[in-house]
Amino acid sequence: MEWFFPALCGLVTGILSSWGVGGGTLLLLCMTLFFGVEQRTAQAINLLYFLPTAGISLLAHRKNGYLDRTVLRAAVPLGTLCALAAAFLATTLDSSLLRKPFGLFLLYAGASILLEKPENKNKAL
Amino acid sequence: MQPPSGGRYIPSGKAGCSMTEKGKYRIAGALAGTVNGLFGGGGGVPLVFLLRTWANVPDKTALATCVAVIFPFCLASLLVYALCGALPLREALPYLFGGLVGGWIGGKLFKNVPNTWLKRIFALFLLYGAARYLL
Repeated sequence: MEWFFPALCGLVTGILSSWGVGGGTLLLLCMTLFFGVEQRTAQAINLLYFLPTAGISLLAHRKNGYLDRTVLRAAVPLGTLCALAAAFLATTLDSSLLRKPFGLFLLYAGASILLEKPENKNKAL
Repeated sequence: MQPPSGGRYIPSGKAGCSMTEKGKYRIAGALAGTVNGLFGGGGGVPLVFLLRTWANVPDKTALATCVAVIFPFCLASLLVYALCGALPLREALPYLFGGLVGGWIGGKLFKNVPNTWLKRIFALFLLYGAARYLL
């Protein structure tokens, strides 16, 4: 049983994220709110979880020509440095300090989905 | 469907805009990296938003490219966790196993999904999470 709920949670998240509905944050919240996983551990599990699922979908995206190399070349180097620094902060700071900022982030993410206009089909075509 | 034309998008009606598109991508990347590193995920939320609305990248390209941008961020963050001895490999296994099966099932069931409603339910769940963290 110790395995059952985490695996089920991973399964549901995997289905939803393959449909483009929020994957990572969903898993993170289930772990911290329902399974009592400590915040930092949940974050690490979330990061680990992302790699294989994202890796598989990236292969398909590349094949379909949806990856924009200009964006990648501009966004990845600086972003990776920021990610390293931020992850260092996240592992060294007392994790209770990050509770409020994370709450605000969730508020923003939830509100932005609710307020989002329907997908602009013209843009994608 | 028109393929991305060499990866460049000319924003319409933005003549005289002071920042180059590359500058926008950099800022979006930096913000996404910071969020992703701090919270162990979620960097895609500001990234997709900024790419779509600020840098005028088409929806599908923004979503797909976002995954490719976040990938190295997650690797970098995990490296830091590993160096700090905070990599819970054993605890992650059931989630990973469920995730792989779920991704496979999701791929099989794709199409015919009422995406808008699922997204709204997900958004409400995020707001519930926000309340639990903030209050």
